[in-house]
Amino acid sequence: MKKITKWLQQAFITITVLVVAGLGMTQVAHADDGLQKIKKAGVMKVAISPDYPPYEFQMNKNGTSTDVGMDVDIIKQIAKDLGVKLEIKNMDFSSVLVAVQTGKVDMAIGGINPTDERRQSVDFSKIYYNGGQSFLISKTNASKYKNASDLQGTKIGAQTGTLQYDLAQQKISGATVVGMDKTPNLIFALKTNKVAAVGVEKPVAQAYVANDKDLKMIDSGYKLDINQTGAAIAFAKGNPELVAAVNKSIDKIENHGWIKTYLKNAGKNMSENTVDTSMLRYWHYFYSGFLNTTLIAFVSVAFGIILGIILALMKMSKFKILSWPAISYIEIVRGTPMMVQILLVYFGLGALINIPALTAGIIAVSLNSGAYVAEIIRGGITSLDKGQKEAAKSLGLNQKDTMRFVILPQAFKNIWPALGNEFISVIKESSIVSIIGVTDLVYELNIVRADTYRGIAPIVVVMVIYFLMTFILTRGLNYLEGKMNHD
Amino acid sequence: MTNPLISVKHLKKDFGGNEVLKDINGDIDAGQVVCIIGPSGSGKSTLLRCINQLERPTSGVVDFNGVDLAQQSDQELAKLGEQIGMVFQSFNLFPNMSVVANLKLAPMRVKGMSDEEATAVAMKYLTSVGLADKADAFPNSLSGGQKQRVAIARALAMQPKVLFFDEPTSALDPENVGEVLKVMQSLADGNMTMVVVTHEMHFAKQVADEIWFMADGVIQEKNTPAELFDHPQNPKTQDFISKVLVD
Repeated sequence: MKKITKWLQQAFITITVLVVAGLGMTQVAHADDGLQKIKKAGVMKVAISPDYPPYEFQMNKNGTSTDVGMDVDIIKQIAKDLGVKLEIKNMDFSSVLVAVQTGKVDMAIGGINPTDERRQSVDFSKIYYNGGQSFLISKTNASKYKNASDLQGTKIGAQTGTLQYDLAQQKISGATVVGMDKTPNLIFALKTNKVAAVGVEKPVAQAYVANDKDLKMIDSGYKLDINQTGAAIAFAKGNPELVAAVNKSIDKIENHGWIKTYLKNAGKNMSENTVDTSMLRYWHYFYSGFLNTTLIAFVSVAFGIILGIILALMKMSKFKILSWPAISYIEIVRGTPMMVQILLVYFGLGALINIPALTAGIIAVSLNSGAYVAEIIRGGITSLDKGQKEAAKSLGLNQKDTMRFVILPQAFKNIWPALGNEFISVIKESSIVSIIGVTDLVYELNIVRADTYRGIAPIVVVMVIYFLMTFILTRGLNYLEGKMNHD
Repeated sequence: MTNPLISVKHLKKDFGGNEVLKDINGDIDAGQVVCIIGPSGSGKSTLLRCINQLERPTSGVVDFNGVDLAQQSDQELAKLGEQIGMVFQSFNLFPNMSVVANLKLAPMRVKGMSDEEATAVAMKYLTSVGLADKADAFPNSLSGGQKQRVAIARALAMQPKVLFFDEPTSALDPENVGEVLKVMQSLADGNMTMVVVTHEMHFAKQVADEIWFMADGVIQEKNTPAELFDHPQNPKTQDFISKVLVD
């Protein structure tokens, strides 16, 4: 009975901490100061998800990659009109609107359809381009699927969190909609007959058809209002001054007919990417992804160990004021997915202080790793013979020195293999930071897939890189473990 | 008559309602060697650990040089702890450091000695237990007897006022017992105050100034070795002596 009461108390405190933390991080209201803020900073921050040609994608030329596409040309023009510098923040499409809401960026662009649902959480500029909705199908199925009505009852792929996803669900009767994060994944699913068609914007469909002779485009046949086909720029709510300034630029672009030029540029850049799709040509993508993944893993494990020691000592303290926060923290971190933690750090903590995605990723992974390391260390300490502590005490050593010179060195030796495993799992698990736009290996993998229209080769390359990293690390740790066994 | 170094008064210890020590009283004078003997489970080790506060007594007084140890906080005890050395049955050397580092750690961290001073002290006591050549070895490469000699040297390096031994030879192979007892004998000859829980009756008989015989959590009989072994008064003592001294 006593145990259950204690357990309930613990659960109650843990949940309270979660709820309070959650409430503390809810939206801060925005005053109409977006435009002034941009002008004062001299920089306009824009979120994009560069895996959506021709709207936005990365061009790989002479060993460097740049964000290009119609949307990029548009925001360049807007920045020019406002007289400020442009700073592009890359992230997953499912994150761009959140980034706007939480003030991480000033606006988001990316073929975003200004639907009523979205208007409830963000404001939109006027529509700068009306693309319309299409389906991509395999050429081999061209006779089977002549128009959209032939798709009834089939499986249709669409990017998660997009209008295409909702539309396919609502308008194609009997269709099962398969959601994936990345368009290249959807195309691959299409080619392997996992889905019958992929719902995308018309310009995207056109771009794919132009670059992949196995694909064909059919019209969606949707009867839609312009809010469901047009693309607009998203802003945090309550910034009419900024919206007006951007609308002025859109008018200018429209009057000059520049959209056509932008699209032509995009087409040119896309064919530049597909001139040579050998993985070797993209080595620097993988290389920079490798560097970032390594950085994240090393820094996070280092901080994780420091945090883990503190948490372990707190948890083992006889003072409840120390042990309970540590217990709650460890339970929360171990009981929630790392992906959710990363989103919370980037968007939640990021709403209070502005932290770059890479820093947010490192913080989140460190905080996560700390909880696991704490349990490993606690296990290492409690597994030590209590005679060691008694011997230190009988020599007059204080608790701090006992920990530092006697207990921790031995505990570390005992837990070395477990720490090594944690390190390796951080290398692998940290791949999830790509969702907030940290350019780690997985992020670069998706960029390369989007650029080259190749589904599998980049995955294999990244897999080999991950394997080599963990393999070499394992050998290194084993070697060090052998060296520690001098006694 | 000078005051005793340690004076135990009405010491009691419960482990969850189980009375392990019932009203223990006894004095230990400076320079005296007291051996505590008795059957297993009689509370000998618990008494030792309650005197040096590795276990906190349930009630009673442990007067050490005029200070009641039982009333001291952990911090104050840590300071006094350096004056009370302890040698454990299972040695409890720190396996993560060399022999000499085992000896130097406390003098440097607790007494604030410099590296040179501590090394000199460490080597002095290692030499006294005959293990100067093992200074750079790691504990796990030593025999049990060598380990226990290092443990004694480590306790001595703090220059304690009294040295406690908790069955120091019970974990040793028979051929290693002699070398440890020899070191203890020479300590006793050097006028070290010692309290020894032991099953080595011959050692107790030869070295002790006083023997405490314990059974059932009580000191049944206290006397000089000659009296206690040859003319035990208490029936429990008689029974024990007759069993252990068959030869």
